[in-house]
Amino acid sequence: MTDTRRVQVLIVGSGAGGAITALELAKRGLDVCVLEQGSRWSLDGYGQGSVEAMRRLYRRRGMTPILGKVPIGYVEGACLGGSTEINSGFWHRTPREVLLRWTAQFDLQHASPEDLAPHFDAVEKLLDVGLYKGPLPRSTEVFARGIEAMGWAAQQVPRTAPGCKSTNACAAGCPTGAKQGMSRRIIPEAEAAGARVITDCTAKLLLTSGTRVTGVLAEVRVDGGRRDLVRIDADHVFLCAGPTETPALLRRSGIKHHVGDSLRIHPMLKVAAMFPERIDAQDSVLPLLQVKEFWPDISIGGAFFTPGHLAMLLGDNWLDNRAQMRRYRNMATYYVAVRGSGRGSVRPSFFGDGATVLRYELSHEDEIHLSKGLARLATLLLAAGATEVHPTVQGLPVIRREVEAIRWLDERLPRSALSLTTVHAFSSCPAGERRDRCATDSFGKLQGFDNLYLNDASILPDSPGVNPQGSVMALARRNAIRFGESLQ
Amino acid sequence: MPSARSQRLAIALVGLAGSAVFVALALRHLDLRAVAATWRDARIFPWVPMAMVAYLLGHLVRGQRLRVLVRSETMLPLATASNVVVVGYASNNVLPARLGEFVRAGMLAERTGVRLTQSLTVTLIERLLDGIAILLLLLLGVLALDVRPDWMWEVARAAMVVFGVALAGVLVAVFLPGFVLSAAARVSAPLGPKARDRIVALATSITAAGACLRRPKDAALIALYSMVVWLLEATMFACILPVFALKLQIAPALVAMSVTNLGILAPSSPGFVGTFHFFCSQALSSQGVPAATAMAYAIVVHLTFFVPVTLWGAGAILWYGVQVGATAAMARAARSSPKGDTLSGVPVHLIARVDAPGAMVVTSDFDVALTEAILAQEGSTLDRAAVVETAAFVAEQAAALPARLHAMYAAGMAGFRFYVRLRYLRSFCALDLERRRRAVDAWAFGRLALLRQLFRPVRSLALLAYYERPVLGSAVVAPRSIARAPVSVAHD
Repeated sequence: MTDTRRVQVLIVGSGAGGAITALELAKRGLDVCVLEQGSRWSLDGYGQGSVEAMRRLYRRRGMTPILGKVPIGYVEGACLGGSTEINSGFWHRTPREVLLRWTAQFDLQHASPEDLAPHFDAVEKLLDVGLYKGPLPRSTEVFARGIEAMGWAAQQVPRTAPGCKSTNACAAGCPTGAKQGMSRRIIPEAEAAGARVITDCTAKLLLTSGTRVTGVLAEVRVDGGRRDLVRIDADHVFLCAGPTETPALLRRSGIKHHVGDSLRIHPMLKVAAMFPERIDAQDSVLPLLQVKEFWPDISIGGAFFTPGHLAMLLGDNWLDNRAQMRRYRNMATYYVAVRGSGRGSVRPSFFGDGATVLRYELSHEDEIHLSKGLARLATLLLAAGATEVHPTVQGLPVIRREVEAIRWLDERLPRSALSLTTVHAFSSCPAGERRDRCATDSFGKLQGFDNLYLNDASILPDSPGVNPQGSVMALARRNAIRFGESLQ
Repeated sequence: MPSARSQRLAIALVGLAGSAVFVALALRHLDLRAVAATWRDARIFPWVPMAMVAYLLGHLVRGQRLRVLVRSETMLPLATASNVVVVGYASNNVLPARLGEFVRAGMLAERTGVRLTQSLTVTLIERLLDGIAILLLLLLGVLALDVRPDWMWEVARAAMVVFGVALAGVLVAVFLPGFVLSAAARVSAPLGPKARDRIVALATSITAAGACLRRPKDAALIALYSMVVWLLEATMFACILPVFALKLQIAPALVAMSVTNLGILAPSSPGFVGTFHFFCSQALSSQGVPAATAMAYAIVVHLTFFVPVTLWGAGAILWYGVQVGATAAMARAARSSPKGDTLSGVPVHLIARVDAPGAMVVTSDFDVALTEAILAQEGSTLDRAAVVETAAFVAEQAAALPARLHAMYAAGMAGFRFYVRLRYLRSFCALDLERRRRAVDAWAFGRLALLRQLFRPVRSLALLAYYERPVLGSAVVAPRSIARAPVSVAHD
């Protein structure tokens, strides 16, 4: 007999992993409930500028730095749809060699390119993944010019924004609804299939009994700032709270085996390039091309641009650079991202403010790749016609000539002067059959538990070297379908 | 199982028995005629009224401390807060077994809307702070005394153990709420969902009540008020000394006050009759004061302690219409929220209501001065409103940092302000813009990576907020005209 006071499947988190899990399970007729820490916003609430977006859509208003010898700026979404509401919508399938490496090193089963292909196909169809259809923006054109001059391999990256209107509001929530964040289609479809969503609800603790999770203790924000502490009983729990909050919740609940010990990121160094002509990057979508010549260690591409973000980027050498703000219409910003071979950790804060402490130490290899990447990116931009390249390295002079750029092929950037950021974090609870290094089995079922599953970026065994949304959604769909079938 | 009524009766009887024992101890070997003779020579004026004023002032400070303790949940007027405190004291004077603490918690809950368990926890925190303040004053007093009997050290040691353990418990609850919640849930798991929910609810209330101590400024204020409260009470004890021609000295008063207040923790009758007199007179006679004089002193101090507050409390009870018996009703009402509920159609079990909205972030003058110094260019003028708006954003963002990082940031900025004061002999806010700019640049772009890292986030946030403003078009092109650019022009 069904217990009406219990939920059959409780999903914590409504981002890329949680949303697709909810849809697949609800479609199979399961009783699904999704808890989301952030709020539900309509399109009117999106595109309100970076400052307001940080208040509304970002976890801890965007103040979630990764600590280490080189602190790294990191942000993630905390709203219905999670980080898919504030990312650029770039879409990559997991590269074949990455999947092979995961199988070899983590014994990740049933995750070959062929195994995942139907899941990628299905999700890409749902999200209408495709290439940008409008005329390429100036910031992309000049980048393409540089790529051509260097003769490097590159590609226009498909996006989950089929009807992109180039409003340049990706990071503040797409106000036109063109970008297919999870709140646009997947969550509404899941709700239509019967899934119930509770927003403004923070999971505080997993309630366990032996090898089973019996439910979740959650705090719900209600009217007037009051918060209710509630218990939600469930037969099965999927944690999809993201690479930082999933391990933090597990550790708060006393579950620590291979949890939060292996955080990986893609450390990213940005530059601002000054061109003789008007670019007006603030009026268009970010550059859409990525240089693949140096992949998997180094990726080069275009970064989100607003005058505020440009000022932040120039801020590392503000005394020399601030005059350049007058010519912001001639500037665009780009990045070099490295695969990230350092290791990090995720821990719930010792002090009880509900914060999560993230740590990551750059490896020697990361430093070399960042230095080489800067050399290559600066060379490309100069070849594209840039007159100045401003890297986010404190004390580093403006790069105006190729010879100033290529020195970084042989030299290392000063570690203490680096200003790094990242928006890609994963692998904090790796999946695979290697019990000596994995938190879950190949399908996200947590070791030692009968009914607790992880299904988000935390289970990627290690760095995918590309934007992880595609990998997360394909694996999550695969895991959800298998779980649904096992119940039936 | 004994009924609640018989339990209450037993408690009252134990209290009365305690009082009887201490009355007997106090009167043993006491010459009552000598006490009466001492009374005849007593100088009531001006000392007793002065003592009463000091004691009543102490209750106003207690009220102020209570306001700070519950500030994150409610804005309590000083008069109401003081009345809540006094009602508790007055009830302890007429009810057995310190039931006044519950009356007071009930009244606080009724006045502020916070849950009773939370209100009781606030009372517990106050008592602990009181205990620590009393202990500190006892140590100070004992060190200053000419004669130090061994039993005083023993009292101090025992009290230190009790309050030390309790303080450790409160600190864990205040600073590790996640741990407390997790531990409560895990420890109570074998007891079944119902018991677990109750224990988790209690843990939640306790941790929520301690939120005020997580803010360093409030914690410091509360500690300061606690010391002032007990110094005023010691002043009351000191003022009674000259009534019996004893020298007006603070050390014996500190010891008498501390020993008496620790002593009345023992079970006794309403109003601490017997226990109060015994411990107070013993503390004084250990300093060589004749027993009869010490007892007469104890009687006057007790009356000063008892009468005004009881009258004030009775008036407050009448004023607010709070009856002692209503406390239980309040507690029942607080517990009467439905156990089963639904949220968006999902069945949930309501465990606790947490009335703890986040503290509002206030933009300080320093935030504004710092933001202006970061944004200003040499010889430029900035729009004041834009700077204030940007500073507010920076302050809000800094407050959103995880607690440890926020503490590090605050400590770093305190160091910077200290450096500025040493370097310029003026506060940062009092410096002109050019000097402020130079001071900021010296740290933000200096040689030390640590100092650069301190300023990097605040600079990034200030630049982001400032250059994201809608008036940007004119702001970037012509920085001197930012302030004057009408918004309609600036949008072009």
